Amino acid sequence: MTLQWGYKRAFGRCALLFVAGTALQMIFGDLNNEFLRYPWGLIIALNYLYLLVLIHFQKHRWKWLGQLADHYACTSALASMVVMTIIFGLTRQDPASEGIVGMLGFSRMTSSWAFNLLLLYFTTTTGLAVMEDLQHIRKRRVAAVLSHAAVFVVLVAGIFGSGDKLRVSVTLQKGQPSHWGISREGEQVDLPFVLTLDEFRMEEYAPKLYVLDAMTEQSSRDFLSVEQAGDEATIDGWHLTAVENLDMAGHMPDSDEYRAMEHVGAAPAVYVRARNFRTGVEREGWVSCGSFVFEPSYLFLDDRLAVAMPRREAKHYLSRLQVVEEDGAHHNFDIEVNHPARVGAWRIYQMGYDTQRGRWSEVSVVECVRDGWYSAVHIALWTMLVAGVVMFLTAGGRKVAIKQGKEAKQ
Amino acid sequence: MTWDQLIWYAAIAVMCWVAGAVLAFRSSRRWTAVVASLAGSAVFMAFIIGMWIALERPPMRTMGETRLWYSFFLSIAGIAVYVRWRYKWILSFSTLMSVVFICVNLLKPEIHSKSLMPALQSVWFVPHVIVYMFAYAMMGAVTIFALYLWLKKYDATDEELSACDNLVRIGWAFLTLGMIMGALWAKEAWGDFWTWDPKETWAAATWLSYLLYLHIRGHVKDQNTLFALLIFSFLLLQMCWYGINYLPSAQGASIHVY
Repeated sequence: MTLQWGYKRAFGRCALLFVAGTALQMIFGDLNNEFLRYPWGLIIALNYLYLLVLIHFQKHRWKWLGQLADHYACTSALASMVVMTIIFGLTRQDPASEGIVGMLGFSRMTSSWAFNLLLLYFTTTTGLAVMEDLQHIRKRRVAAVLSHAAVFVVLVAGIFGSGDKLRVSVTLQKGQPSHWGISREGEQVDLPFVLTLDEFRMEEYAPKLYVLDAMTEQSSRDFLSVEQAGDEATIDGWHLTAVENLDMAGHMPDSDEYRAMEHVGAAPAVYVRARNFRTGVEREGWVSCGSFVFEPSYLFLDDRLAVAMPRREAKHYLSRLQVVEEDGAHHNFDIEVNHPARVGAWRIYQMGYDTQRGRWSEVSVVECVRDGWYSAVHIALWTMLVAGVVMFLTAGGRKVAIKQGKEAKQ
Repeated sequence: MTWDQLIWYAAIAVMCWVAGAVLAFRSSRRWTAVVASLAGSAVFMAFIIGMWIALERPPMRTMGETRLWYSFFLSIAGIAVYVRWRYKWILSFSTLMSVVFICVNLLKPEIHSKSLMPALQSVWFVPHVIVYMFAYAMMGAVTIFALYLWLKKYDATDEELSACDNLVRIGWAFLTLGMIMGALWAKEAWGDFWTWDPKETWAAATWLSYLLYLHIRGHVKDQNTLFALLIFSFLLLQMCWYGINYLPSAQGASIHVY
C-alpha cells in the first residue's frame, strides 16, 4: 500500500507537533496549567473558538487552512491520539520518574507538551468537523453530529477548564467546625463555608471466618460468613459451626470469654466449634477481629492452623454534616460514597474515615470539589449518551462507499 | 446457587449452543438453530440470575463474574449476527469463544463473596458493566469475522465489509455508552469525570482505535489495513479488560481493581 500525499502531509504535521512538544518539554519542563485559571481559561477558550470559526470560513481561501479540516487531518489526529494513549498506558505515571521517560514527559502525560499539543490538534480537527456539521446539518447523520459536538465540548472543557478545578481535602473531627482544607498541591485553601461533622455512621458486612496457616501466612480460599448463630461451613478439612454470634462484644482483661457489650470499641466475636473430618479432633473457642480497644482472638486448631476473622468490610458509611455558608445559609446533608452534597459551585464527597477505629470513627475525610465547567461537560456527556443510543439504533443497513478524489477531502 | 454448579448449567448451555451451531449448517429451517442457541443462552442466564440472587448483589464485581456475562453476550451476539446476516459459521465461533471463557472460569475459579464495596453501590454499576460486556462481545464477534474475511482466498465482498462495519458501529456505540456511564459514575463517586487511571487510558485507546476504523473505512481501499486495524483494536480491548492486571506500568495504579 502506498501512502497518499495527503496522509504523508498530515502525519508529518503530527510528527512535527510531537517533536516540537518534546523540544518544549526538554527546555521548559512540564506544562503548568495554572495560566488557565479563571478568567484566563475562559478568555483563551473563547479566542480559540473564534479562531476555529475563522479557520472554518477562510479554509476555502487558504489551502493550508483547509488541510486542517480534511479527512487526512482527521485520520492523522485520531491515529496520533491512539499512539499517545498507548504510550500513556505503557508508561507508569509517576511524577517523580526520571531518566529518558521522565525527560520526555511520558511519565506525566497530562502535563506533557507533546501529548497536549497533539490533543489540541485533535480538538481542532474535531471542532472544524463540528462547524462543517453545523453548516451542512441536513446532509449529516444525527449520531455523527451529536458525537462530534459532545466530544468537542468535553475536550474544550477538559483542556481550558483544567486550571479551574479545585479539590480540597478536609479532615473533620466530630463536633469541630472547619472552614479550610488541603488542596491536591498541598496548599491550605479557605472554603466559602464552614463544615461540621455531627455524626459518622457505618454499616459493616457480616464477619467472615477463614482458616489461617500460621507458617505460610496464607488464609483459606473458602470462608464462613457468619450471619447468625448456627451458620456452618467446611473449610480445608475442618467443619466450622458458629455457635454464638455477637455483633458488639468485649472481654475482661483477665478472661478470654467474650460477652455482649454495647460500648465504644466493642468488637464482633463468634464462638466457633471446629471438627476435623479426618482425625475427629474438636476445638472450640472465641474468634474476633478485635478493635482499637481489643486485640484479635484466634482459635488454634493445631500447630499451624487457626481460625481467624479479618476486619469486617464496610457496607455503607455516612457523614451527617452541617454546612453554613458565608451569607449565613444553613444546610444539613447526609453524604456517602456515590452521594455527594452540593453547595453552590462546590460538591462535597465522602472520601474516608479513621480506619483504625472503623465503625467507631469520630473522624470523616471529605473532599470539596469546585468545577466551574461541570455543567458543560455534564450536558455534553448526556448528549454523547444519546448519540450512542442513536448510533446503535441506526447502525444496520448502511453501506460505506470508498470516496474518491475531491469527495474524499471533505 | 453456588459457583460449583456452573459446570452443570454450562454443560447444558454448551450442548444447546453446539446443537444450534450444527443445525445452522444441517437444517434448512433457520429458526431451529436460533431456538437451540437461545435455549443455551437462557440456561446460562438462569445461572447468572441464580448467582445474582445468592450473592445478594449483581455478579459483576470480579473478573470471573464479568467473564460469565461475556460468555452470555457472545452467544447473544452470535445469534443476532446469524439472524441478521445468516452467516452459518458465526454460531460455531461464538460457541467456541463462549466455551473458552467458561473453561477459564472453571479452571480459575474466584472467590465470590457477598461484599460489594461502597464505591460499587451505584445505579451506574449494572448498566456500565452490562453495556461494556455487550460491546466486548460484539467486538469479539467482529474480530472473528475480520479474521475470517482476511484469511479467505478472495477479497471480501461489499456485503461482507458492510456487515463488519455494522458490527463495529454497534460495538462502538456500546463502548461509548459504557465509557460515558463510567464517567458520570466517576463524577458522583470521586468528583472527576476522567482521571487517566490505567483502565481509563486503555479504554480511551480502544475507543479511539475503533473510531479510527470508522473514520478511515470510507477512504481506505486496502482491506489488509482495515482488518489489521480491527484486530489491533481488539488487542487494545484485551489490554483494557484484563491485560492491565499483568501490565507492570499499571500495577497498584488502578482503582478499577476489585
